[in-house]
Amino acid sequence: MALILPEPALQAKLRGSTDDAPLALVDRHPRTVVVAANRSALAAGVFPGQPLAGALAMTPALRLADHDPAQGVALLDEVACWAGRFTPSVSVDPPDCVLLEVAASLRLFGGLTALMDRIRRGLDELGVEHLCGSAPTPLAARWLTRADKAPPVAESRQFGAALDALPVAALADGSGVDDGVLALLHAIGCRNLAEVAALPRDALARRQGTRVGDALDRAFGRRPDPRPMHVSPSRYHARLPLPTPSDRRDTLLFLLRRLLAGLGGWLAARHAGVDRLQIVLEHEGRRPETALEVLAGAPCRDEQRLLLLIREHLERLPIAAEVDALRLEAAAPVPLPALPGDFFDDRQAVRENAELLLARLRSRLGPAAVRRLRVRPDHRPEHAGGPDEPGPQVESTVGARPLWLLPRPEPIDPTRLTLLDGPERIESGWWDEREVCRDYYLARGRGGSLLWVYRELRPPRGWYLHGYFG
Amino acid sequence: MSVQAISLEQLPAGQIWRGARFAAPPAAGRPSGFAALDAVLPGGGWPRGALIELLGEEPGIGELSLLLPQMRQVCAPHWLVWVAPPWTPYAPALAQAGVPLDRLLWIAPERPQEVRWATRQALLSGSCSLVLAWQSELDMAALRRLQLAAEQGGTPLFLFRRRRAALQPSPATLRLQLEVGDDGELSVRVLKRRGPLLAAPLRLALPDRGRPASTRFEAAAAATPRRHRTRARFRPGLSAEALAALQHAVVGPDPARTRPAGEAARIDG
Repeated sequence: MALILPEPALQAKLRGSTDDAPLALVDRHPRTVVVAANRSALAAGVFPGQPLAGALAMTPALRLADHDPAQGVALLDEVACWAGRFTPSVSVDPPDCVLLEVAASLRLFGGLTALMDRIRRGLDELGVEHLCGSAPTPLAARWLTRADKAPPVAESRQFGAALDALPVAALADGSGVDDGVLALLHAIGCRNLAEVAALPRDALARRQGTRVGDALDRAFGRRPDPRPMHVSPSRYHARLPLPTPSDRRDTLLFLLRRLLAGLGGWLAARHAGVDRLQIVLEHEGRRPETALEVLAGAPCRDEQRLLLLIREHLERLPIAAEVDALRLEAAAPVPLPALPGDFFDDRQAVRENAELLLARLRSRLGPAAVRRLRVRPDHRPEHAGGPDEPGPQVESTVGARPLWLLPRPEPIDPTRLTLLDGPERIESGWWDEREVCRDYYLARGRGGSLLWVYRELRPPRGWYLHGYFG
Repeated sequence: MSVQAISLEQLPAGQIWRGARFAAPPAAGRPSGFAALDAVLPGGGWPRGALIELLGEEPGIGELSLLLPQMRQVCAPHWLVWVAPPWTPYAPALAQAGVPLDRLLWIAPERPQEVRWATRQALLSGSCSLVLAWQSELDMAALRRLQLAAEQGGTPLFLFRRRRAALQPSPATLRLQLEVGDDGELSVRVLKRRGPLLAAPLRLALPDRGRPASTRFEAAAAATPRRHRTRARFRPGLSAEALAALQHAVVGPDPARTRPAGEAARIDG
């Protein structure tokens, strides 16, 4: 399967943008020409190879950026890392193609159609424009995808006919056939690959066309075509430049999601998770970078979960200046066993969510604000329950107790009460200076609510409200 | 041509909508545990992922007992979350009622916006069976966000508010006003539901609350304790017999506090 990312250097620049302002990449050596332009610039009449002055004359609003092939290569690498979640055999095919050997993965992902849908969706999440097609050999996949003539999935075994119909120009793509040979083939009247394949092989080879025969053999699968495998780095590093500097948190989060999608693929390929990652905000000019250390608590590779945590951190982070580029770095992946898919329910996911909720509440509100309850073996109502870490449950055989307990008993006027039940005498706590001697009653208040009231047994024998039967 | 009178039932189904019926059969709800309440709730129970407002002024009218059947059903790994309850949820009573205490999270944020934040997080996490929250002052936007979070997380939110909040419009799926009748029974007035208006309030007999109203309080009568008295001195680490013996030896029978004949000193706990 071939994934073609048209103009990777331009995409690397554009990935962060949400608008469609005309933008062109410019190469300044040996003379200043437009190397690539985005869709709206192309529509305005800018074309690759055009001198800069001409382009600016056509589109005065054109924004310019330096062409940096390294950014394109980095983007291909990122996509190759990400693609590791689908197959271990990934190879980068410069300048703009990533090849996946998916034959062994088809069963796992539910067939070629399902796999391709998944890859397309994933690339959309990464924010990368792409063409995607499949064929039994890498070169054929690449040619057919670029020509957008990849046969429908069901017929991919009959790719020969589709390959035959490709124009001669397709030969040059990624096969080392140079322009001179192409011109020669044009000159002798070949229009498509079938006609080239019909030429006498040794005569063509004598006219410096050895590569043509070689490329055709590889494309049609008559000769093996081994590719160097992409080796995913042991540290993950991805950088995303912002087209326009911004300090808006939602913009940053949106872009971070794209970086995290790549990280997710890298981790999935290694069957690993990370428990910490670093996000660096690069600022304009010479301002120092802002680094953000995100601790996940437990190793994790769920992008959504990491994004949630990052949002928490980002919201509390003062952003001093506009951000020019985002960087995501992760090291030391921790092996994470693949979760066995549960056949019946999603208990595992719920359990993880439950832990995550507890961790998030505690980190934001403080541990004292997140309380658990436990029954303690004590007769004094105020000591028998309250915030505590859960422990062994105690059987309590006491009488009726209210669901609400007032943290501090309130004096109450006994003439406003109708006593319904009681008293229950509680005398306890002589050992720790907080002895209680009370008669508890169930009472109905004026408004009809059920109250738990008590009368002190010691003078002045006052009446107090201690709880509500909610 | 003769005009024939046909009754409404004879018309093809789906062409006539009657005001007293639900427009569309709503999604099945969770049975509330009270047949009378299920009968008036669209879907035959509490809606599953929705904001449910419970409006009331007085505490202690059975507002929590109404939800006890729901709370009993919470099981690991799900949480039962109480956000900003006005008083202490009393552990012994909850344990008596069968609420799993180890699944209960009592969240006590300091600021109102933290209450809203914590409530939304609990709803969105998908790991909570139900969320109870106490906050009266909420504007339309905040209510809307809570309703959306409840829908998204598929978790019901029971929001307890003061009665005056009934005047404020709300996006809640269900709004119930809780009052107490003269006989002490809980009366539920359905202010809003996804269906036709319900005029009459509903009386609910909650278990454990149907106690006979006794006589008015008289100061003199209350001076002598009635039915049962518990005299408990608890000391950890001693068996009940040892404790009773010790009590007898050290403290001795207290002549001022006579026990009814036949009732021995009882050690509870």
